[in-house]
Amino acid sequence: MTAQVIAPATQVPPALSLQALYKDFGGTRALDGASLEVAKGSIHGLVGQNGAGKSTLIKILAGLHRPDGGAIAVDGAFQDHLTPHRAENLGIHFIHQERLLVPSFSVGEALFVGQESLAGSTRLLNRRKLQAKATSILRERFDLALPADALIGDLTVAQQQIVQVTRALLANPSILVFDEPTAALVKREVDVLLETIRRLRQQGLTIVYISHYLSEIEAICDRVTVLRNGKDVATVDPQATSASEIAALMIARDVTELFPKQAVQSAEPILQISGLGRPPAFADVSFTVRRGEIVGLTGLLGSGAKELLRSLFGLEKPSQGSIEIDGAARSIGTPRAAMENGIAFVPEDRRGQRIAAELSVRENISLASLRLFSRFNLVQRKRERAHCDRLIERLGIRTAGGEAPVKSLSGGNQQKVALAKWLSRQSRLYILDEPTIGVDIGAKADIYRLLGELAAGGAGILILSTDLIELTGICDRVLVMFRGRLIGDFSTATASGDAIFDAATGAAERGIAEPAAAELGAGELQHVG
Amino acid sequence: MTVITSSPTSPHQGQRPDRRDSTFRRYLLQYGLLIALLGVSAFFAAMSPTFLTTANFASILVNSFALPAIIAIAMTLAVGSGGIDLSVATAVDLASLAFVGTLAAGWPVPGAILAGLGAAALTGIFNGLLITGLNITPFLATLGTLFIGRSVQQVLANGGNPVYLSSSKLPAAVKFLAHGSFLGVPLPLYVVGFIALVAFILLELTIFGRGVRAIGARPQVAYFSGLRVRRDIVWIYLLSAAISGVAGILLSATVSAYIPYSGNAFLLNAIGAAFIGTTFGARGHANIIGTILGVLLLAIVANGLLLVGWNFYWQQVGTGAFIFLILAFSFASKRRQQRA
Amino acid sequence: MSVSYGTAAVEQHGSFASRTMPARPARRFLHRGLLRTGSLLVFIAVFTAFSLASPLFLTFANIVTVIGQSAVVGILAFGLTSVIIGGGADVVRGGIDLSLASNLGLGSAVYASLVQAGYGDAAAIAATLAVGLSVGTVNAISIVSIGILPLLATVAVMNICGGLELVLTQNTAISVSTPLLDLLSGTDRFGIPFLAYVIVAVAAILIVTLQYTAYGLRLYAVGEHREAARAAGLPVQAYVVSSYLISGLCGGIAAILYTALLSGSTTGSGEMLLPVVATALLGNVFSGRLLPTIGGTLLSTLLIGFLANGFQLLHVSSYWVSGIQGLLILSVVAATSLVRRRRS
Repeated sequence: MTAQVIAPATQVPPALSLQALYKDFGGTRALDGASLEVAKGSIHGLVGQNGAGKSTLIKILAGLHRPDGGAIAVDGAFQDHLTPHRAENLGIHFIHQERLLVPSFSVGEALFVGQESLAGSTRLLNRRKLQAKATSILRERFDLALPADALIGDLTVAQQQIVQVTRALLANPSILVFDEPTAALVKREVDVLLETIRRLRQQGLTIVYISHYLSEIEAICDRVTVLRNGKDVATVDPQATSASEIAALMIARDVTELFPKQAVQSAEPILQISGLGRPPAFADVSFTVRRGEIVGLTGLLGSGAKELLRSLFGLEKPSQGSIEIDGAARSIGTPRAAMENGIAFVPEDRRGQRIAAELSVRENISLASLRLFSRFNLVQRKRERAHCDRLIERLGIRTAGGEAPVKSLSGGNQQKVALAKWLSRQSRLYILDEPTIGVDIGAKADIYRLLGELAAGGAGILILSTDLIELTGICDRVLVMFRGRLIGDFSTATASGDAIFDAATGAAERGIAEPAAAELGAGELQHVG
Repeated sequence: MTVITSSPTSPHQGQRPDRRDSTFRRYLLQYGLLIALLGVSAFFAAMSPTFLTTANFASILVNSFALPAIIAIAMTLAVGSGGIDLSVATAVDLASLAFVGTLAAGWPVPGAILAGLGAAALTGIFNGLLITGLNITPFLATLGTLFIGRSVQQVLANGGNPVYLSSSKLPAAVKFLAHGSFLGVPLPLYVVGFIALVAFILLELTIFGRGVRAIGARPQVAYFSGLRVRRDIVWIYLLSAAISGVAGILLSATVSAYIPYSGNAFLLNAIGAAFIGTTFGARGHANIIGTILGVLLLAIVANGLLLVGWNFYWQQVGTGAFIFLILAFSFASKRRQQRA
Repeated sequence: MSVSYGTAAVEQHGSFASRTMPARPARRFLHRGLLRTGSLLVFIAVFTAFSLASPLFLTFANIVTVIGQSAVVGILAFGLTSVIIGGGADVVRGGIDLSLASNLGLGSAVYASLVQAGYGDAAAIAATLAVGLSVGTVNAISIVSIGILPLLATVAVMNICGGLELVLTQNTAISVSTPLLDLLSGTDRFGIPFLAYVIVAVAAILIVTLQYTAYGLRLYAVGEHREAARAAGLPVQAYVVSSYLISGLCGGIAAILYTALLSGSTTGSGEMLLPVVATALLGNVFSGRLLPTIGGTLLSTLLIGFLANGFQLLHVSSYWVSGIQGLLILSVVAATSLVRRRRS
């Protein structure tokens, strides 16, 4: 850490100054010299694509990771070794995406656990005092009235969030970091939250606001920093910069030769969906995927895209509409049924559902196609190993061998293993959920090449992704979902990334009235007065 | 606008380097159980002249190894699938009861054996349905079965009274099964060997076994890969109970009786051996060889302490402390590995 | 799909990750309350049925006797409940203490041996409680510091305690009698057994500690949602350790009562383990939020006690008791998970 010039006493030091942070995780570089400077008493936005380094940056600020290089200063004072405890003492509090509240606690209990004396409960636990204090705070600060016996688990996401914000406020923070707070909120709740944040700024707090929704950034942030590939590429005034300019900063305009685009001839449809719905998640979705086509599907959290995907693989049952595979209507009730119809599914890498990390590469690769290597139910190791080695080579999987446990592989190679699992089955339709998050550039290229090969071989591919480069680069078409509806079907040959981005982030929303949300049965925050 | 270059490729592409794990250290951990076994045997051989005799080993194997091993193998299947089977004791007892009961009623031996296995299998199916149908965790489901099994025994056996088979009623085949030997090796050991072999093949070599491993590792991933998770779980608990049933039949044959709740004595040993067995080998899974080594280890420690002259009761303390040490070692090193 | 497997990765709490839809509070209260009310009704129904069936049941003497006889199992179950509160819903990975029964056996053996050796009640009490706390400490260290799975750690400790007990007693019963033991096993002038007072007192103390203090609230937080507790700044490990210490202490107290009940120590105290586990697990259903509570455990202890007693009075074979316990556990667990699933 190099010595830095301390800001002169006449200037107010920035509330937060992260300078040139570096962080590696095993094989991937998450932060590549990222800097962030937040002025005191301002609302500072942070945007970037998935994998750009936002969450790593925040975790470092929270003291959960140590940076491999760079410096952190809070109110002008440099912090050597930030721990969660120290971060809290410095007045930095986080409103995480996951609401860290105990589900079976009442609002009062959740608010004051660990700091019960703040509610005036000294010797014995006086739940009435906790609840009374909680009710009064929520009413004063947020105009929110909740039933006295409400448990955290019964509240809506928005309400839980408000409880979490309130809890953070009890500690008199100086800096509040909001991490994707509106992903699961309906419009009215979003407005309330934004108003709340404005009020917090008036009270002197410094706010860092991370979000995908550029409309919100524009609405409340004084400045916004754009992260890309682990580095901050720009800090701009969102009022003076258009959403598409910010979007352009988020995406590398220079697309390297990653995408072997092969022209697709219009062929027979593999997948035909009509009026598919599973309210309230999504409704009235219809589209087609043809042989040799790579179709992208995109939408933010809450758009219904994920739920749609799950319905296609038998993980959820749609209550409306139909699915046709190769022209015949199918009922896909379980993953097995989907597989028997030639559908392959590579889930996203959350909660370890994509790959069995404790098992070996070989075991993972053969998991969906054990019958192919077996005689009389006995797995023929030799055939399996040969097949596995062939796939390792074909996909360029960097591993110490087929026996290595998958968890020793880097993210990109793990994803290749996940794909290899399905290649063994000669599937007709590949469904991929965020296939290249956390994957380094080399593996990405390999994966795109593979997908191109599969499409050329006659398979249909449906990719759910929020990575615009990826979508415009490799897909022939991109379907956009927003709050449960399919609102766009763009051909990448003609449409621009901007248009897709706008559609996904709800640029069109600035004009759509409540009814759309109401149809999905959205709840409402209870207001007092 | 500046030209954006892609991020530099990091030097550690592909695998994470294993800095700390020297090969020696790795082998030490993987085969630690075997090393402990040999070490303990060497220790007792040095301490007592009678330890290293065929007679002693035969006694260990038949008396303290055979039955516990069979039940531990049953437990290994359940643990391997990510669960646990507390009702192996029930399966042992019910099989024993059915076996003895039918023999006393005059059934031919093969029929009695089938009755015993059938009773055990019912227990297993019951467990399987509780776990897959009602979504009860294996611990609680098999605990419930354990309780119910106790009642069943009490009701069927008149308040938990043993049922003795007089020697006149005892068919020669049964006597041979329990006390006979073939080629100098006692028959029960053949049974153990057979079961171990079948279980090993099942778990390591068949499609079903792969499924079990996957379910034990990541049930979600297994489901996403098209495995019939629920069906396989039912089979696992069925097998676990059936195998324990074999032990029950063997037990009854040995003592010519049905002794109520005798299965309970085997339960803790089986759990201990199955989990200790996971320390064997590179993977950390439950595995048959590890379990067998575990049972052997516990049997040897108990026997050794006896020969060395430890008070019988101190033996239990010693064995208990030993199990504790192995567990401590295994979990502490797993923790250290995770932090590295 | 949600299939639960013991040691495999199980989500401890319902998933509260982002939903697009708000909750519907009214319906949820109905389900949860329904289960708890239903269980209370069952309790009352059982009571009523037995009272009608046997004139001896609903007498003062009978009822207080049952309460007194439930003392040992009840206090052990309280200890187990504390561990479960601090450890969370997943019994295998979370908190569990299977060493309680052997803890009791060892404690009882210590008490009886000391008395036999000529020491008085005071020394014996101190020693027994010390033994209980030590067992709790060993459990805590192996689970929190070394990192052994609670199920395995407490089983290993159980083995060791069982062995030590055998060493002390040489597998025989030790009969002793002291003024305190005689007092405890007797009744007062109202005919209420002192053991009944003890279990009520211990229950009261624990209820206050776990339900009405900040400590208790925090322990619940640690057990239910460890991440949230950490985010709230709680030293999670310390709380887990404390739960095992409480459990160990309960073992010690129960040991003293056990010795009083049987006028000495006997073998076979290990038999008690399963009923204690069943009792603690059943207790969940008597709490409004379907959480483990001392009050709920007290109710389930009494329920099972009255069931056994009723059977006895009606000359129904006691064979059925164990089976009914098993069915109760299974029904309760199935019903609880059904209610929980409707939540998420």
